[in-house]
Amino acid sequence: MKVEGEHLFKAPREVVYEMFNDPDALGAAVPGMQKMIKLDESHYEAVLGIRVGPVSANFSGNLSLTDEVPPESVTLVIEGKGGAGFVKGVGYVKFEDLGDETTLLKYTGEANIGGTLASVGQRMIDSVAKSMFKTVFEKLDKILEERWQKN
Amino acid sequence: MKKLFPITVTVNGKVYERQVEARLLLSDFLRHDLGLLGTHVGCEHGICGACTILFDGEAVRSCLIFAVQANGHEIRTVESLGTPENLHPLQQSFTDKHALQCGFCTPGFLMTLVPFLEENPTPTEDEIREAIDGNICRCTGYEKIVEAVHDAAEKMSQKK
Amino acid sequence: MTGKYFGNPIKRLEDKQLLTGNAKYIDDIEVPGQLHAAFLRSDFAHARILKIDVSEALKRPGVVAVYTAEDFGDFWKPGPLQVPPPTAIPGSKFNARTLVPIAKDKIRYSGEVLAVVIAESRYIAEDAFDDIIVDVESLPAVVDLEKAWEDSSVLVHDDLPSNMAALVTQEVGNYEEAKKKADVVVARRMLIEHVAGAAMENRGFLASWDDQNQVMTIWANTQSPLTVRGSVSRALGLAESQVHVITPAIGGGFGPKVMTSLTDDVLLPWISKQLKRPIKWVEDRRENFLATTSERDQVHHCEIALKKDGTILGFKDVFYHNTGAYDSYGMTVPLNTQTHIISNYRVPNFYTQIRMVFTNQMVVTPVRGAGRSEGVFAMERMLDFAAKEMGLSPIEIRRKNLLRADELPLATGITGQDFVKNTLDSGDYLGNFEKCLQAIEYDKFIKETQPKAQKEGKRLGIGVVAFTEGTAVGPYEGCKVTVSTSGKVTMTTGYSSQGQAHYTVFAQIIADQLNVKVEDVKVITGDTNHFAWGAGTFASRGATLVGTAALLASQKVRAKIFSTASKALGVPEDQVELGEGSVSIKGKPDSAIPLGTLAAMANPMRGVIEPGVEPGLEATAYYGPPHGSTGCGAMGVILSIDEETCKPVLEKMVIVDDCGTMINPLIVDGQLQGGISMGIGNTLYERLVYDENGQLLTASFMDYLMPLATDMPKKLEIIHNHAESSLKLNPLGIKGVGEAGAIPPGPAIVQAIEDAFADKGVEILETNLSPSSIYGYLKKVEHK
Ligand code: FES
Ligand code: FES
Repeated sequence: MKVEGEHLFKAPREVVYEMFNDPDALGAAVPGMQKMIKLDESHYEAVLGIRVGPVSANFSGNLSLTDEVPPESVTLVIEGKGGAGFVKGVGYVKFEDLGDETTLLKYTGEANIGGTLASVGQRMIDSVAKSMFKTVFEKLDKILEERWQKN
Repeated sequence: MKKLFPITVTVNGKVYERQVEARLLLSDFLRHDLGLLGTHVGCEHGICGACTILFDGEAVRSCLIFAVQANGHEIRTVESLGTPENLHPLQQSFTDKHALQCGFCTPGFLMTLVPFLEENPTPTEDEIREAIDGNICRCTGYEKIVEAVHDAAEKMSQKK
Repeated sequence: MTGKYFGNPIKRLEDKQLLTGNAKYIDDIEVPGQLHAAFLRSDFAHARILKIDVSEALKRPGVVAVYTAEDFGDFWKPGPLQVPPPTAIPGSKFNARTLVPIAKDKIRYSGEVLAVVIAESRYIAEDAFDDIIVDVESLPAVVDLEKAWEDSSVLVHDDLPSNMAALVTQEVGNYEEAKKKADVVVARRMLIEHVAGAAMENRGFLASWDDQNQVMTIWANTQSPLTVRGSVSRALGLAESQVHVITPAIGGGFGPKVMTSLTDDVLLPWISKQLKRPIKWVEDRRENFLATTSERDQVHHCEIALKKDGTILGFKDVFYHNTGAYDSYGMTVPLNTQTHIISNYRVPNFYTQIRMVFTNQMVVTPVRGAGRSEGVFAMERMLDFAAKEMGLSPIEIRRKNLLRADELPLATGITGQDFVKNTLDSGDYLGNFEKCLQAIEYDKFIKETQPKAQKEGKRLGIGVVAFTEGTAVGPYEGCKVTVSTSGKVTMTTGYSSQGQAHYTVFAQIIADQLNVKVEDVKVITGDTNHFAWGAGTFASRGATLVGTAALLASQKVRAKIFSTASKALGVPEDQVELGEGSVSIKGKPDSAIPLGTLAAMANPMRGVIEPGVEPGLEATAYYGPPHGSTGCGAMGVILSIDEETCKPVLEKMVIVDDCGTMINPLIVDGQLQGGISMGIGNTLYERLVYDENGQLLTASFMDYLMPLATDMPKKLEIIHNHAESSLKLNPLGIKGVGEAGAIPPGPAIVQAIEDAFADKGVEILETNLSPSSIYGYLKKVEHK
């Protein structure tokens, strides 16, 4: 599965980038995230509950940030598995400074999905992924609003 | 031990009281708890129609219902139609017209068609095809099932 | 040949039990004390197993045992080759890599079994999956057939130099020479998509070890109970008499249920013996899609060489055939394809090569049609392309090349699935085609119907194709016919039944021979304690092989009736009359002895026969044909299609079929109709989709679309065109019909869709045509 998209954040690039390195922010933004622990500077452990059509299950896995070029870009590598299959993915995230204290985030990525999630849920995966991204960005916007505008 | 719930269900006119797990499917309950094996399971996800039963007179898929949901309701399965010695007219038409081969899908078709023919005693061919469009048969190609329904409709309305 | 019953549309004897819910299928069988098995299957298509930890699962209440490959010790080994390799074909290469019962070290397809959980209930067994920790190193998956063939591909079996499972080349004449002389050469690449057997009942297996009597009783919905008995007894070191395989009512077969050496039939008997408890496993639908065998999936590279007038000079077809992760079922499917490519037409020069390739997908074994559909599709499509290129009508080109009745029998020179050189035995191929043209009113359609519709803004298309169905291959089947002292007759056979009306058609044959009522003949199928010789239910061979054996056995019994009656009545045999259910002296009805009484007399204990004479009104017979037969026919279809939605509607379909003598025309029609629905499904709805990681994306009926009642043709006409010449084949002149219907719908429908869009020049190169793929074809030509 391929994913691609962009989102405009109303905050300077450094702030947005910082937020992506903050497990509390990420953990709060991802729907169904049950726990997210920072192992070291660039590795996290997470447990995530997701529901795709008839399939719902908990996934546990790792998230690592590699090729970090603060505050321009980062590569996310995720690996998770659970009772309903597995997900492996790489996401390339770019932060473009548009001036006027806004940042355009662009992402492209590829996920490899297996097990029940793929064999029974595949029709729904795309739309579930889209709605997940939407929620994540909405939540991050809120977090930014609180953090950035308050300061 | 999993928590059990008491249920009372009327199946084919007989009242059963049982303790069941919340997750037990009605199809499994009928088949394995009550031993009514005529209800078949072909897909467990509501598409094939093999598990069709009558729930308060309405054709529904028993693989999509939990046994606990049947508490206080009335159910009819294929066992409530005819016996080998005394077939229901629809069953008779099915054998007369060779509307079954392996027979696995057949109880589901019968239970879909019984209320259909009650509601529409003189259906057209298109209406019959629509009526059985939620039941999969891999063996017959449906032609002879459609013929059998016509035949049964004719005979049943004559009797009335 | 017709009799009181034979040849007549007798109602089925087995129906009443099935209709009332009284028939017992595998999931209906319960043995006291039985435990349930569930199989933990791999999410990965290709991976190395690092660790499987089941310790937590064992702690779960209700779990009795959990096994991984290691737990089976020496018992774990790759299974047997169920069908032998094509050694009869010179120069053929075959790499046997047979199914393993449970993955060890390496996973080769998604759905392969990793652990077997035995528990008090299926619900608990599946719960325990959550407790099992599986650690694997995933590997890139081999999915694309043509890429898999290349030397650079990742390997499915590390010990082989490539993913080549087999390479078989057959040639008659010399294609390259013919090509040089040709006026026109047309080449195309075509895909034939992957489809499932999808019987409505999934697979199931129940093994019950009786430690006291040292007997293993097995219930299995298998098409091949005798193969199961053989493999279980070999694997467990038991005598065959210690293994009793019973087939209950079976909810459809269509091929995949013939496969053995899977997890259930190998491991469950062993586990039952270990635990001394009956073990039951019933597959669910997702498992059926993932791990029960499936078929088709070929890529053809075809070339046809012709003279200006449309005469075929030669045909070349190099095709890739997906065998999946293992190749236990040998080469039945691609060999069928090779024989069927040229099975309708005069093709003097034919070159064909099978490139059978391992992939990280489930194993491919025959599914109704079984390679025949693919071969017929390739040839029929190439004729259409050639006709277009040369400005001929699809009808003309076929008329020119179809074999005529007087050209048969014809040895094609191509070796088939039974490793015998294929013979097209009988039939009127051209005659079938002409009959079909008439019935579908081809000329009227072209001259009136289509142009009229066009004026009204409607698109109609017509397609007419020819087909053959290789049937009734050997080696043999047999049966035993017994008249009991009640006068009732029993026939037993090792052949198993999945809805083909065996209980009726065999009874028809016997009832006529013995002059008893058809309902007084009880047929027992697929029980190895009743009859222990035979091969299995496949290749439309039941009516021909078991049917002929039933004829031969009942003829022997009939002879015994006459000899015994002659003694009992004290008259020479020619004075004996066999009435319905009794024997008497000709012209003296008072002398009648009921058949049951005669059966008692045929027992030396108290009867009229002397020691040395075989007792009982009973006989066993076997029949094995020298080579398979070939059914044949033609199919025409008229469809309408909306340019916006691209959904084809089948307005009318005609099938002309020659299956040889019909035992029961009602049953033959049912077989044809069922086959046709499968052929329609394969063409317009069904498709197994694997993604590039080897994940099956269509493992439910939500995504794998089955043909429904509203998808069938609005009018379906069946014409039987049985050629008398088939009578030379076997005593009853039966060919077989189980797969015929599934073969021609593909090329007929595709030809009709192209015809409906003839003005646009659409050319379709695959079998699976969802509305969106048809739309894609339209867009492609519009953008040209
Ligand atoms: S088993 Fe319930 S619809 Fe298929
Ligand atoms: S009769 Fe076999 S599925 Fe319908």
